[in-house]
Amino acid sequence: MRGSDAALGAAGCAVFVLLGEAVPRLGLVDEDHFPPACRIAGALGRELSDTAFWSALGDTLTGWALGLAIAVSAGVVAGVVISVVPYLREVTASTIEFLRPIPSVALIPLAVLLYGTELRSVLLLVGYAAFWQVLIQVLYGVRDVDPVAEETARSYGLGGWARVRHVLWPTALPYVMTGVRLAAAVALILAVTAELVIGAPGLGARIAVAQTSQAVPEMYALIVVTGVLGLLINVGTRAVERRALAWHQSVRGEVAV
Amino acid sequence: MLDVQGLHKVYEGSGRRTEAVRDLTFSVAAGELVCLVGPSGCGKTTLLKCVGGLLAPTAGEVRLAGRPVDGPPPGMAFVFQEYGRSLFPWMRVGQNVELPLKQKRLSRQRRRALVADALESVGLADAAGAYPWQLSGGMQQRVAIARALAYEPEVLLMDEPFAAVDAQTRAELEDLVRRLWRERGITILFVTHDIDEAVYLGERVLVLSASPTVVREQLKVDLPDQRDQLHTRVNPRFAELRTRVYEQVQAAKRGR
Repeated sequence: MRGSDAALGAAGCAVFVLLGEAVPRLGLVDEDHFPPACRIAGALGRELSDTAFWSALGDTLTGWALGLAIAVSAGVVAGVVISVVPYLREVTASTIEFLRPIPSVALIPLAVLLYGTELRSVLLLVGYAAFWQVLIQVLYGVRDVDPVAEETARSYGLGGWARVRHVLWPTALPYVMTGVRLAAAVALILAVTAELVIGAPGLGARIAVAQTSQAVPEMYALIVVTGVLGLLINVGTRAVERRALAWHQSVRGEVAV
Repeated sequence: MLDVQGLHKVYEGSGRRTEAVRDLTFSVAAGELVCLVGPSGCGKTTLLKCVGGLLAPTAGEVRLAGRPVDGPPPGMAFVFQEYGRSLFPWMRVGQNVELPLKQKRLSRQRRRALVADALESVGLADAAGAYPWQLSGGMQQRVAIARALAYEPEVLLMDEPFAAVDAQTRAELEDLVRRLWRERGITILFVTHDIDEAVYLGERVLVLSASPTVVREQLKVDLPDQRDQLHTRVNPRFAELRTRVYEQVQAAKRGR
């Protein structure tokens, strides 16, 4: 079953590439704006042999990873503190609901003002966008603590920190993992956006250069690379999730006893 | 060992005042196995949580070995009805049993010995590496009992522990509790709504009234120490006692 699924997926991909080749060749779209797949593939090959491409890729991944790491740690710590300290959730709820919907891209002028085209600009935007994804999930996750589990922990003398570590954190972990997966995707979007708009070094900036210098196949090749990155990030976070949550119902499935 | 004096508990919240426990006074001697039985919804769980220090009583006091209980005391272990939620699914069986011992700051060697011994006594010596959700309901409740045993409590509180398992498993678990009680000399306070279970297990049965709860009657169970499912349950004295408790519970339900 899994094998045939993979085969179907590969076939779908091949059809898509063939369409990408055929549509411009048949003159259905302008070849200057939408080059056929083989020219994009050629451009991709040239990119892969260019060291400037690899350093741009490294820059993008650095911004992504650092921004995500900052957002995840800040989101987890803030979420746990807000949930554990009495009344803090009520006090912060309206502020969170106000700040969360602000699109990160609206902060681009602020980022430029503060940090120019440095990495820190990217980190600000990536961090801001990814932080809320994690924080919201942690806040939901902590609410999910089973009262019986909590009472069990209390009755066996587990103190505040021990209960956070052994009850609250494992309960929230599935939510945290979802938050991290969402945050990882958002972080990539924002990293590329920041580079594209601000001109911070990275794949986004390279796409902008390709566009302005009319290197259309190269531009598409770079877009394909960002897509592949997104795919790999998603596969990676899912793998981490499955490992960390092997005990959870969503992963273990129903066990027959 | 355990003294409950004038225990009174009122829940207040959202404009509603519920008197769950009115006035409870009873004591449990060291090494005794006492069953609390009463009509459903009579505040048994509230009572047990007050005794275990999980809930603060509105008035009255609970003393364990002379010391007032104002939080979960280290000398008490709790076995909950909802074993599936009381055991942590993210820990293996051995880790579940060991976790409370870590809080007691026992050495690793001592912890291992206690975990192995407790799992052995409930007949799950080879399940330490499994996850709780890989076990049947009856086995999960055995793990919860092992966790309580390893904690080495003076008093074991059991809150309708077998209400959620099937009849055959329940009979086995009842015999397990009797055996552990005899072997280890722990003081046990066992809450149940099952009249037969109360008489079969207990040395003494306290019949509670409907909520707001008071003690209606105390009965000494003068059955032989050695009990088994087959003979004890057909013993004429067992029938008398269960009839007596049954009448009391029925009367409690009618509120007389």
